[in-house]
Amino acid sequence: MRLLLLLLLTAGNLCAQGLDPQKLLRAPVDTWPTYNGDYTGRRYSTLDMINRSNVHGLTLAWAFQTHSVSVKATPLEVNGILYFTVPDHVWAVDAATGRQVWHFSRTSHGDHLGSRGVGMYRDRLFFGTPDAHVICLDARNGKQLWDKVIADVTVGYYISGAPVVIGNQVIIGTSGDSADVPHYLLSLDPADGKINWRWDAVPKPGEPGSETWPDGDSMSHGGGSIWGAPTYDPEFNLIYLGTGNPHPTLAGGVRKGDDLFTCSIVALHADTGKLAWYFQPSPHDTHDWDAIETPVLVDGTFRGTRRKMLLQASRNGYFFVLDRQTGKDLLTAPFVKTDWASHIDESGRPVPSPDKEPQPDGVLVQANMDGATNWMAPSFDPQTRLFYVNTQTAASLWYLLLNEDHKPDGHQGGTLSDFWSSSQLKALDYETGKTVWQRDLGKGHSFSGVLTTAGHLLFSGDTSGNLFALDPANGNLLWHVYAGGTLSSSPMTYQIDGRQYLITPVDSVVYAWTLPPAQ
Amino acid sequence: MGKNPLEQENAKRGAAIFQQSCAYCHGKHADGGPEAPNLIRSLLVRHDKSGDLIGPVIQDGRPDRGMPAIRLPADQAADVVTYLHALLSVSDSAGDSGPSSDYSLKLLLTGNAERGKTFFNRKGGCANCHSPQGDLAHVAQKYPPISLQARFLYPEGTPPLATITLPSGEVIKGTLVHLDAFSVSVTGQDGWYRSWPISQVKLKLEDPLEKHHQLITQYSNAELHDVFAYLETLQ
Repeated sequence: MRLLLLLLLTAGNLCAQGLDPQKLLRAPVDTWPTYNGDYTGRRYSTLDMINRSNVHGLTLAWAFQTHSVSVKATPLEVNGILYFTVPDHVWAVDAATGRQVWHFSRTSHGDHLGSRGVGMYRDRLFFGTPDAHVICLDARNGKQLWDKVIADVTVGYYISGAPVVIGNQVIIGTSGDSADVPHYLLSLDPADGKINWRWDAVPKPGEPGSETWPDGDSMSHGGGSIWGAPTYDPEFNLIYLGTGNPHPTLAGGVRKGDDLFTCSIVALHADTGKLAWYFQPSPHDTHDWDAIETPVLVDGTFRGTRRKMLLQASRNGYFFVLDRQTGKDLLTAPFVKTDWASHIDESGRPVPSPDKEPQPDGVLVQANMDGATNWMAPSFDPQTRLFYVNTQTAASLWYLLLNEDHKPDGHQGGTLSDFWSSSQLKALDYETGKTVWQRDLGKGHSFSGVLTTAGHLLFSGDTSGNLFALDPANGNLLWHVYAGGTLSSSPMTYQIDGRQYLITPVDSVVYAWTLPPAQ
Repeated sequence: MGKNPLEQENAKRGAAIFQQSCAYCHGKHADGGPEAPNLIRSLLVRHDKSGDLIGPVIQDGRPDRGMPAIRLPADQAADVVTYLHALLSVSDSAGDSGPSSDYSLKLLLTGNAERGKTFFNRKGGCANCHSPQGDLAHVAQKYPPISLQARFLYPEGTPPLATITLPSGEVIKGTLVHLDAFSVSVTGQDGWYRSWPISQVKLKLEDPLEKHHQLITQYSNAELHDVFAYLETLQ
């Protein structure tokens, strides 16, 4: 009996050191317990120790050198420890000192394009690998607890997205676009990786959505990668997910139709993975413009009516406001100048112009493959009521590649010549989609995300490697530093022992910034 | 980009054998026919290691699915396996790094050269800086068609000229090295690199590509193909 009691006490202690699942239901304060900080995807922190009046004094707290590739993850911070990834590697780092707690590594085949981070359930961490495994680690020491293969790496599947823990489910999807395969989202049991449910981004013949494909063969190679992390509304118990583009990526002729549920925002019942509703930002995409950008959940007034909304600045250049209970479109508005759509239909979808689809002689489009924005996180600041997003304008020539039998040549059936691009950080009014202010980020593009805080601050970076803090109300510059590389992910923040830290992954180095200690 | 794996000697031999013994059913590009599967998407081919799965199918066929035994000598079967793996690797990365330099002129040449010449001389304003007898003489011979198409739309590698006025009134001219929201740097006429905080100097830029930059947002698709057709006449 005494032994049992001791065991129970020990188990209790372990839980106390792990992540309290209730933390996931609130805006991040002393923790950053999930990819976007909380389930809303707003990337807004209520911390204000670093604020508009003192941010000019922000200074380096520490730097962690991964000796690795670019860190594209957003670190989690739980109980004073940061957890982050690059493909095949996970680090636990002391969030106050930058010293390594442990490092997990493995080797794998597969695509090593990027890894967006870990998910956490109590004292367990979960991450996806280049060979499409989901691995569970003991957060205390990095020891592997289980390893589950969720897809076949030999046909190009891998995992880039960060797992998101919802209740006692680990939600993770498949990535990959090199071999024209259909993609899916899974709910795994944190105890052993057993699959609770699976949602397929592309239907099978006869299922709803199959009428938007020519045949079973096109569906079975239809794409719809799950590159990103979903958001979640506990009230409706709905998971919100953006899906990837259809395959073959640039050759639309073999998949005539809307190609559901690719390039879509979908709401799934969290307990079953069943589809509640969908909205398709890019019907029949032929430009690689997925709709995986964060579906940001915002409550507020929309043209005089209280609404529970979902906001997305999509890679195709359009900003969408949806009613997140029904999926009904409230607003569709371009946030960059673009020329691929002929008009907006009655349901709010931009309709692609057939003459902007890739052709053998090259078609000029005022955008490139990276699109008007990409996987990097946007932010919504409830103090300014503005939506912030790193945007890109570009021009490129798109070629359709067919073989002598007029079938797509290679996995994407096309290619492009990229000319120039430039980036702007934009603050959007969600009721109109209009730009309230913008800041030039320079030539080219970056994958720098945005963070806003209650300290009346916005953090991000430009294409020349400058990190900066702006006043989110008007874009005025408040702090900047050249960090020797571009912000390769999205910033996050947390507070430990009375100090607030800002984390900025810059290529292979993770920098922590803080205010000097009070004298 | 590494070497094209289809150029390996054994892959080339394998391709020839494939055309002779396999293409009739599986297609010239191994992407399938009415009765036979697409081998680029075949799980069996994807899971094969050095012929351990493909080898037996070649030798024994798949009688249950109507494929006859092909019975190739072992070295020929190995060459076919190498060819198929090369084909997968090329297909999985095709187009990822832009169009190939030998892209067919016939595919690109859809415009009207006369209309292109008119655009060049009038609406486009190209003749203000360029001349078919001068800098553009024989331009179609200088570049592969696919490069010429990209280059006239947006020639790269010509940095803007910068004129910097220092607080003292001193004026420095040079080619721009870097410009962002916080600093500007140039290579001066003396060849030396210098930089200044952007807030402390006056900067004037002359970008020789400015007209190209404007035009690329204005061309209709027909206009750009007409101009390309015209430039291709400058042999």
